[in-house]
Amino acid sequence: MTFNPCAVIPSHDHWTALPGVVAAARGQGLAVFIIDDGSGEPAAAAIASLHRPAAGVTVVRLPDNRGKGGAVCEGFRLAAEAGFTHVVQIDADGQHDLDALPELLAQARARPKALVSGEPVYDATMPWGRRIGRWITHLWVFVETLSFSITDSMCGLRVYPLAAVTELLAGEGVGAGMDFDTDIMVRLFWRKVEPVMVPVRVTYPPGNSSNFHMVRDNWKITRMHTRLVLTMLVRRLTGATAPPRHWAGLAERGALWGLRFVVAAHRLLGRRGCMAVMAPIVLYFYLTGAEQRRASQRFLGRALGRQPGRLDGLRHFMDFAGRALDAFAAWSGTLPPVAVTCDTPDAFARIAADRRGALLVVSHLGNVELSRALMAPALRQRLTLLAHTRHAENYGRLLREFRPEAAARVIQVTDIGPATAITLQEAIERGEWLSIAGDRVPVLSKDRVVPVPFLGKSAEFSEGPWLLAGLLGCPVHLLFCRRCDEGGWAVSLEPFAERVELPRGRRVEAIAELAARYARRLEAECRRDPFQWYNFFDFWREGA
Amino acid sequence: MEAELKRLIISALKLEDLSPEDIASDEALFGESGLGLDSIDALELGVALRKTYGLKVETVTDEVRASFATVASLARFIAAQPESGDGP
Repeated sequence: MTFNPCAVIPSHDHWTALPGVVAAARGQGLAVFIIDDGSGEPAAAAIASLHRPAAGVTVVRLPDNRGKGGAVCEGFRLAAEAGFTHVVQIDADGQHDLDALPELLAQARARPKALVSGEPVYDATMPWGRRIGRWITHLWVFVETLSFSITDSMCGLRVYPLAAVTELLAGEGVGAGMDFDTDIMVRLFWRKVEPVMVPVRVTYPPGNSSNFHMVRDNWKITRMHTRLVLTMLVRRLTGATAPPRHWAGLAERGALWGLRFVVAAHRLLGRRGCMAVMAPIVLYFYLTGAEQRRASQRFLGRALGRQPGRLDGLRHFMDFAGRALDAFAAWSGTLPPVAVTCDTPDAFARIAADRRGALLVVSHLGNVELSRALMAPALRQRLTLLAHTRHAENYGRLLREFRPEAAARVIQVTDIGPATAITLQEAIERGEWLSIAGDRVPVLSKDRVVPVPFLGKSAEFSEGPWLLAGLLGCPVHLLFCRRCDEGGWAVSLEPFAERVELPRGRRVEAIAELAARYARRLEAECRRDPFQWYNFFDFWREGA
Repeated sequence: MEAELKRLIISALKLEDLSPEDIASDEALFGESGLGLDSIDALELGVALRKTYGLKVETVTDEVRASFATVASLARFIAAQPESGDGP
């Protein structure tokens, strides 16, 4: 890959430091494009006076102020037209110590496909508004990339590989204002453009104020991150979607690094330390997840028998994050199998020895996944998960990459037909355990619900598990896994119904009976530790 | 084969008020239009088909799904099974 860089300097009303910046770029032998982003006078005249094409300095004026991103993109266009392969973006206000330029260029030459970015080393002159913005951004970029390889995403001194940038800009929009620097970096990261960081000293010269606007730009930055995270989540959950086809693979790889990070942090810091690291992320989801927050409040109110406060809600969310953490730790082998004890050893042994296939009804209470991770492999191999969404499949793929033996068979039962019925029956005849959630949206269809009393008020429970058990003619067991106060987990595998009979004409009553019995059992388990209920779902339809 | 399937559908799903002539071979069995069978019917039909014809389904692909859409497609699917006709 050839390396033929030029410099692009966007400027909006910055001109006092500009001659020095241009000289530094020229000193490295770089052709310079100055993009005057709709500056007023006297800046416009001063910028225009630098135009000396014979000396390698070209000034292009945009009559209207497009914002930093718009100006840099114009620079990308000019550079590509002129046949350059890389663009060195330099801020016009002279805040970066340009002694770092040779090192940036050397890194870019050595790794021409990477995005080489300055990593600011600040002195005390940084204004507070920007500090806050940077802190928020730093946290966000971690969430968006699930990686710490981008240690700073807002530095305006960097070397872009132009081919990757052109491809990105052709397919996606990038923030036009102060959100540009981060936005393009994260999106390039998603497109496998590796970030390389080079330390750069930064000063904020007092006489030359930045165009950074405390409220407006911090708001824009927040908005950009929300958009990035949503984009990321949507793409992740829906699997491969247009436009970038390779996104799906990358997203999962990103998540895999995330898992590895969590596991490493868990080893290093322990559970408490890891939870502390995750706290800001949990806080964000708590603050932005209004629907889940309300669901949590409603549930806690019923299970605790008192009005829950904000701290209860936050604790509930933290516990939820802890659940995921524990499951990862279990899959990673950090937790020894002895961390799990059995509440029902006799029943467990009896059910494990029974070669018949069965339906295992699980719930969003406690950590069933952890029990699967720490289960004896021979038992785990009998499990097939019945899931409602593609999300479960994606998660399964992710786990498989992380730990091959974690691979679970997943059968999607959202849209169940005769063909699925046949595969389920075959599985039962092979002696498999089909695990299905009993406490979540109806499996078979949205209308397949039955109202039963749950925590003092009628709630809709799925008919799915009981119908399935009846049709497949197999026994039903319940599986719970609860985190104990003293650490460790307690598994309970208990027989629920030896056989489910659904006589025609009495079918509705038979199902209601089973659902009610299940709800009673679930309720008892919920009251034991309400904070382990991870079913952020409007059970009683009180939100309507 | 199609007539046999229609009789099976009626007996397995206890659709006593229908006769085989009421079911058109190319009529959609499931969903809003056509015969309008629901997901429970789908499960029961699957169980009955397996019992009668020893149908095997390794993985549920869209193609397999489509085979269960109408009596005609189902008849073709059963005929294409390696050991169709001499199931248990």
